[in-house]
Amino acid sequence: MQGRAAVAGVGESVYYMRGKSPDSEFQLACTAIRNAVADAGLELTDIDGFVSYMDQRNDPLRLAHALGLKELRWAATTWAGGGNNAAGAVQIADAAVCAGYAKHVVAFRALAQGQFGRFGRPRGIGGRAEGDMAWKAPYGLLSPAQECALHTKRFMHDHAISQEALCDIALACYANAQRNPRAIRYGQPLTREKYHASRWIVEPFHLYDCCPENDGAAAIIVTSTERARDLLNTPVPIVAAAQGLGPKYGFSAFQGRWFPGMFYTSVGEAIWQRSGAKPADIDVLQLYENFTGPVMMTLCEMGFCAPEEVESFVADGALEGPDAKLPFNTAGGNIGEAYIHGFELVTEAVRQVRGESTCQVSDVSLSLVVAGPGYAPGSAVLFGVL
Amino acid sequence: MTRYLGDEWTLPGINDATRAWFTSGRLKVQRCDDCRTWQHPPDEICGGCQGNRLSFAECGEAGRIESFVVVHRAVHPALEDRIPYAVALVSLDDAPGVNAIGNVLNAAPDELAIGQRVRAVFEEVSQPEGGEVLRIPQWELIREAR
Ligand SMILES: [Zn+2]
Repeated sequence: MQGRAAVAGVGESVYYMRGKSPDSEFQLACTAIRNAVADAGLELTDIDGFVSYMDQRNDPLRLAHALGLKELRWAATTWAGGGNNAAGAVQIADAAVCAGYAKHVVAFRALAQGQFGRFGRPRGIGGRAEGDMAWKAPYGLLSPAQECALHTKRFMHDHAISQEALCDIALACYANAQRNPRAIRYGQPLTREKYHASRWIVEPFHLYDCCPENDGAAAIIVTSTERARDLLNTPVPIVAAAQGLGPKYGFSAFQGRWFPGMFYTSVGEAIWQRSGAKPADIDVLQLYENFTGPVMMTLCEMGFCAPEEVESFVADGALEGPDAKLPFNTAGGNIGEAYIHGFELVTEAVRQVRGESTCQVSDVSLSLVVAGPGYAPGSAVLFGVL
Repeated sequence: MTRYLGDEWTLPGINDATRAWFTSGRLKVQRCDDCRTWQHPPDEICGGCQGNRLSFAECGEAGRIESFVVVHRAVHPALEDRIPYAVALVSLDDAPGVNAIGNVLNAAPDELAIGQRVRAVFEEVSQPEGGEVLRIPQWELIREAR
């Protein structure tokens, strides 16, 4: 908070198509963490905390033993949800370091869907549908794509938004991925014609509105800004971080209080209040695109533009490349680089401040990550410069 | 009666939270006995007044399509021969703020539009394993007389 803690290192595994990783999920996690530690110029024995999010299977004690830690002073995860808490995990690491509970905290996410099955597969089918799924699955509403499409359809209707807005967001992710050799979609450019010719997954989402599913891991090291000054790379201070209120589950999100929405209004308010910045001050934005429609809605909720303006806000390459009006998902994002549940957006946001992106924006002083829309609690983290 | 997605398709688990909606043959939604807040899905505490005196109250059968999607990619093999199918979000006239997921039984996906008026109908499923009979709320377009 307020720059007292900083990211000292970033690391990733190689990213693979779903099921193609030769390594197990735990091995991928260890690879990303080792790479982040080396990037910071630290030793593994300096690490004393782990934070992750979602149904994280790589528990901190197993990691601590595998990586030879001497101490484990902080181990925490966010509540439930999905990629919505990719930035919330950074917030917890930030809190631990600022409070002095731990010195070098790893925040990370790893997934290998060949090993553990697809994350995005529908649950609650086969037998009776229970819990949240009881209200949806009997009617054939099963996947995150379908749920986000239901919100998007109404939002487009209310604000007279055309399919081109979704297309423009997908095009930006693909264009930026063409600059990034790490990206799964590197060497696979997308055109407007190809977008429109692609099959529907669930209207209003074409194939290219949906992120792929991938195997891989990404990690960062959070430490105090003071300590980070003595390490290998330029510290990237955490200026502000936030989680926000939202509906209980997917079905609750369809109730009048929340529908249609992505639950980022309160996250945005907290980020702007805590940082003193405003949307127009953001030099580069990473915004989790599980699907393109939620990106459009979240831009509005975070205060970047009004719903009536969003179609022109994203049009004409406004999000594409390092010189864009608003440089966005500069490594390709979930859609273009890899779907590591948004943690690849965190590492990219840090690289932008360090000047190491494959789509480097000039003079970055505020680099924002907005995590997964459509599921609550949402989260965001704003990085700055020393 | 054949269900919209086929008779073999997944049914809801029945418990204290779901029984009123899926078995009563009426639109029954949780309502606070004290502050009269409608609450859907049900929970154990009223979000309006934090009380715990909650029961299920009947609503009229009229509603409005708030949104819908057309599913083209089956995410389960049992739905391969059902695509494209539509899933609608319907608001209940008598319970402001309460929306239900459902299928519109008398309309093709391309006939649907946001704002259309619908009324509830019920798909009855008798349980071969001897469980409770289900009466799953669904919807029909109210077609304007020409
Ligand atoms: Zn009440």
